Amino acid sequence: MNVVLKADALTMRFGGLLAVDKFSMEVAPTDLLGVIGPNGAGKTTVFNMLTGMYIPTEGRVSLLNEDVTDLSPHQITQRGMSRTFQNIRLFKDLTVLDNIRLAGHFRLKYRLLNSILRTKAFKQEEENLITEARELLKIFSLEKKETFLARNLPYGEQRRLEIARALAIHPKVLLLDEPAAGMNPNETKELTALIRWVRDHFQIAIVLIEHDMALVMNVCERIYVLDHGVEIARGTPAQIQSNPAVIEAYLGAST
Amino acid sequence: MNLVSYLGPLLQNAGVFIILALGLNLINGIAGQFSLGHAGFWAVGAYVGASYGVFFAPAFLPDFVNLLISNVLAIIAASIAGILVGVPCLRLRGDYLAIATLGFGEIIRIIINNLDVVGGPRGFTNIPHWSNLFWIYLWVVICVVMLANLLRGTHGRAIISIREDEIAAAAMGVNTTKYKTLAFVIGAGMAGLAGSLFAHAQQFIHPSSFSFMWSVIILLMIILGGMGSMTGAIVGAVFLTFLPEFLRLFGETVSEWRMVIYSLLLIFLMLLRPQGIFGKHEFNLKRLWPVKTGDAK
Repeated sequence: MNVVLKADALTMRFGGLLAVDKFSMEVAPTDLLGVIGPNGAGKTTVFNMLTGMYIPTEGRVSLLNEDVTDLSPHQITQRGMSRTFQNIRLFKDLTVLDNIRLAGHFRLKYRLLNSILRTKAFKQEEENLITEARELLKIFSLEKKETFLARNLPYGEQRRLEIARALAIHPKVLLLDEPAAGMNPNETKELTALIRWVRDHFQIAIVLIEHDMALVMNVCERIYVLDHGVEIARGTPAQIQSNPAVIEAYLGAST
Repeated sequence: MNLVSYLGPLLQNAGVFIILALGLNLINGIAGQFSLGHAGFWAVGAYVGASYGVFFAPAFLPDFVNLLISNVLAIIAASIAGILVGVPCLRLRGDYLAIATLGFGEIIRIIINNLDVVGGPRGFTNIPHWSNLFWIYLWVVICVVMLANLLRGTHGRAIISIREDEIAAAAMGVNTTKYKTLAFVIGAGMAGLAGSLFAHAQQFIHPSSFSFMWSVIILLMIILGGMGSMTGAIVGAVFLTFLPEFLRLFGETVSEWRMVIYSLLLIFLMLLRPQGIFGKHEFNLKRLWPVKTGDAK
């Protein structure tokens, strides 16, 4: 099987606390996977290990057949994996357009001196970047708000902008950490369609953490269930829904 | 005539402080790294520039060439100091970074105090009088243009993104260590430039001219003007250069209490306009006479 992202027995210990225990995952190029679990199950910790924010205590991460376990977050991003955050982390005092432009930062080739002297290379590359950013904003229907400060957008649009910004990296793998958190049912419905559309349009793999079961069961093709840092089940939505271990983790054991 | 000889040095100082404030604004206001050691870089530039003028400058070169060489040497020396301090210290955050840079500033001052070659505590005398209003303000213009262009490019945006959210910046592929250091080094280099211009304008420098108090006053300038705004840094620098002179009009007592007045000023500012006079905005004709409508900013 062709694998873009592979987590191999990832373990994270914070002092005496075992946050994640031997989590393994394989992601194929256009997979749409979900990671679910009760609060504190270690889902975000898994994301943080994948993206280099935490160095796993044990285990390896490989992205596009390259070991990226010990790389720093920006290096991993530059190799083709981007993410969004559970508590939105936009550049709040920058405009919507600048938020997207920042994601193109590492792809630009002009040097510091080019921008100080405003040379042709600078103007050309900046222009291309803006054109590309505007196309992306259009997809997320934010094109009318490009001069707004990110902090002034309504919540749902901030979520959309964060996904747009993550896509501006040109990732091969996109990690979404609770994209529907705080959204109303209508917005969640739109988001569900959007996630599927993004996968089909950009042909990338998406892994998402989510508490909204309707969304997860709707879009994800395979699901990993974590509880107390341990994987208790994996499979298709139908398999997960009828898995007794999952039901026990969420609802407690029947006596 | 009298007014000119009175205003001249004041305007020179204002120019020097504009460059210093612009540099510190890049580090504190734009990159969001709280540095309290700016006077240290200023001192490095001043003593390196002055040493060149006193010990090494070939007499056959015209003064302005010598001044430029002195400026460039000062920029290089202060930038190197910036790298030496920045690389280890920028791993720290917030208060810890402030304390580490404060320590650095004091180390520089104490080293100079014990260097007999440059006069030690007696001060460094007979520095050639090369710089004047013209050269100082030419450099001010160069610095403003350079910074404005830097901030409009992708490198500038990367620096700003660190202030906005360092974790998100790293997640967007920005090498945060590199850009923090870059901002720190450019800021330090500008302080070095200011030092060399200052030394060649004053002709006499003294270790206590670069004490911790000055780091605080430069910081006060950018807080007053608005952290992150170049216009604010310029206005703050000019304001705080002229304020002590203005206070003198009210006699010795008021003048002696100027540090108290500064503190009161800061307290009132924090109460009434915590973002500083300009906030993060720049002076912009379009904002005074809006042409476009529907602009969100």
